[in-house]
Amino acid sequence: MALSVEHIQIAAYLGAGICVGIGAVTTGIGSGIIAGEGAYGIVKQPKANEQIFRTMLIGQAAAQTAGIFALVISMLLIYGRADAPEGGWFKAAAYLAAGLAMGLGSVGPSLGAGYAGGQACKSVARMPKHGNAIMGNMLIGQALSQTSAIFALVVAFLLIYSVPNQAADISMGRIIVKSVALIAAGLSIGFGTLGPGTGIGYVAGKASDMMGRFPNEKPKIMRTMFLGAAVSESTAIYSLVVAFLLIFAL
Amino acid sequence: MNLTLAQGIVKASALLGAGLCMGMGALGPGVGEGFVAGKACEGIARSPENASLITRTMLVGQAVSESTGIYSLVIALLLIFST
Repeated sequence: MALSVEHIQIAAYLGAGICVGIGAVTTGIGSGIIAGEGAYGIVKQPKANEQIFRTMLIGQAAAQTAGIFALVISMLLIYGRADAPEGGWFKAAAYLAAGLAMGLGSVGPSLGAGYAGGQACKSVARMPKHGNAIMGNMLIGQALSQTSAIFALVVAFLLIYSVPNQAADISMGRIIVKSVALIAAGLSIGFGTLGPGTGIGYVAGKASDMMGRFPNEKPKIMRTMFLGAAVSESTAIYSLVVAFLLIFAL
Repeated sequence: MNLTLAQGIVKASALLGAGLCMGMGALGPGVGEGFVAGKACEGIARSPENASLITRTMLVGQAVSESTGIYSLVIALLLIFST
């Protein structure tokens, strides 16, 4: 069955909706956690309200990154396509998969960055004197947890722009294999970033918390945070490899 | 490589399985290893004199917890290349 341009458009708009829909839910939860902890911190330590407020705003901005990635991908899916009927099933599957990849891919990193920011606000409220060290650690930890969102962004870009048009003389079996492989690539990196994103966010949150309680142990805490985050990132890299294989090797 | 419809559906299901396998399989180890590392940060901050012992325990725990991620990778690669 040949697809018309309208069919490809349906897939792209569906992908765009899924992408920013799921992405907005979790970035909202993430920044909500930070705002909650910030407000509670100001209640407990009203003298440090400026410092807590600053940590809260910066933490929320970092936690929104994955949501902004999802917005960019959905804008590209709506306005950045060059539709042609030759695109066929390949393009339709690729657009849907790009939306799934970035939408699901923003869940873990934004929850993780939200936890890290929340713990940092709590820690600044407890120890306003070490506010700068805590905020620095929070930002590094949030950046680590956003790496997996960047993997999802890369896969979504590749799905939108590097999937070829469907060849004219191709069997139905071959079309099904290639289209399903593209959707599977989106699901692989989408779900694959969920665990590492949340896990690294937990590490960053605990490290920020401890940075406020034991500021003298800063080098040891940061070293453990980096080591633990790197090991935890490995499964996101496996998912990235599987997604690349599904896009390019089939 | 041209496939019949039935062969195509079989191969396509294997690939969908591979994607889901690696995606879901990465979820558990990612969260689990992050939890280990978070608790290790807490432990090292509380008793810095035991830092090397805690780091060793953290790495061993993460390696064990990584194993299911590696199983998923192996199964995903088998589903992609040997069906």
